[in-house]
Amino acid sequence: MRAVRIAGIQIATAVLLGAAALLAWGQVNDPAHSILKGAAVEYLFPEQVAVAVGKPSLVTLHFRVAPGLHINSHTPKDEFLIPTVFSIPDGTGVRLEEASYPVGTEFALPLDPTTKLSVYTGEFVIQARLVAEQGNHLVEAKLHFQACDKNVCMPPKTIPVAIDVIGK
Amino acid sequence: MKRNTLVISIVLFILAVFAWAGWANWEYRKQAVERQLASVAHGVLVPDAAGGEAQYISPLKGKPAPEFALEDLSGKKVSLASYKGKAVLINFWATWCGPCKIETPWLIELRNQYAAQGFEVLGVSTDDIDHDDKQMMSSEKKDIAKSAQQLGIDYPVLIDGASVSTPYGGLDEMPTSFFVDRKGMVVAAQQGITSKEDIEANIKKALGE
Repeated sequence: MRAVRIAGIQIATAVLLGAAALLAWGQVNDPAHSILKGAAVEYLFPEQVAVAVGKPSLVTLHFRVAPGLHINSHTPKDEFLIPTVFSIPDGTGVRLEEASYPVGTEFALPLDPTTKLSVYTGEFVIQARLVAEQGNHLVEAKLHFQACDKNVCMPPKTIPVAIDVIGK
Repeated sequence: MKRNTLVISIVLFILAVFAWAGWANWEYRKQAVERQLASVAHGVLVPDAAGGEAQYISPLKGKPAPEFALEDLSGKKVSLASYKGKAVLINFWATWCGPCKIETPWLIELRNQYAAQGFEVLGVSTDDIDHDDKQMMSSEKKDIAKSAQQLGIDYPVLIDGASVSTPYGGLDEMPTSFFVDRKGMVVAAQQGITSKEDIEANIKKALGE
């Protein structure tokens, strides 16, 4: 009898846990939560890199700015413009020793041809010098940028840059 | 005794799961309501029939301008309601917004031109304001003030515009302007830079000319 009761409690717990997990899964996967729709910048590749353990290794990261948009380069010409910055959070097993950014292209808005901006358009690459610990690290790096077209600007945004870094 | 401890642990665990699920659900519903409110007021760009620039159509047109009370650069609270009886251009801008800087001199000129007829511009900055970090907030305010000074803005500059973004349609693109008549109704809206002439035409609508 006692064993039956305990089994009943265990089943009820499992059912409740399952329901809670389903609830959480449903919320996370709601299409309305997707913020990637119409993303201004997309990370292209590589998805996976193998690097020597403990040694700075150069990895070339490829990105693409959506057609018609531009983002500020890493060194914009105005103090208030937001630079494009690549980063890796602490505690991932991979450290970003240094990031080299491409020189921005000169660009001017049609209504203000005299003010030159330093921007990235189309595809661009960032050379990241990574130092990895031993093992397989699923790193969620970040790219922070601020995008505009010729008439409007969108608020600054940070997108995830998922890279599987294998330290050998 | 052992059995009681087990049952109590399981009950506490179940209660914790319920509490977490309830909190997650409340958060989700809160965000869903905010998204819905923003989408209700969210404007759209409609292609121009004559082949010109797309026109920004805001659902707020013909409706009362959503009320707000925001701090100006001196820390004083400024409410939209206090401008009733005046025509107001609410210009949402940001220090990082290049197109905003192009239209700012036009706004300054038009404000001076129409001020005597009861017209005012409110420049509402949508730059991030960190309310949790006083030092950071002070630095952010200084940056907004410096940018406004460099641009020669002489009309009231309000901060933390992002906090009123939902009733104004999400403010996902800058600059966005709403033209409010003397009764507090939105008579026109613009997103992105168009021309000084377009802005002036909408100011005249707000003034009832």
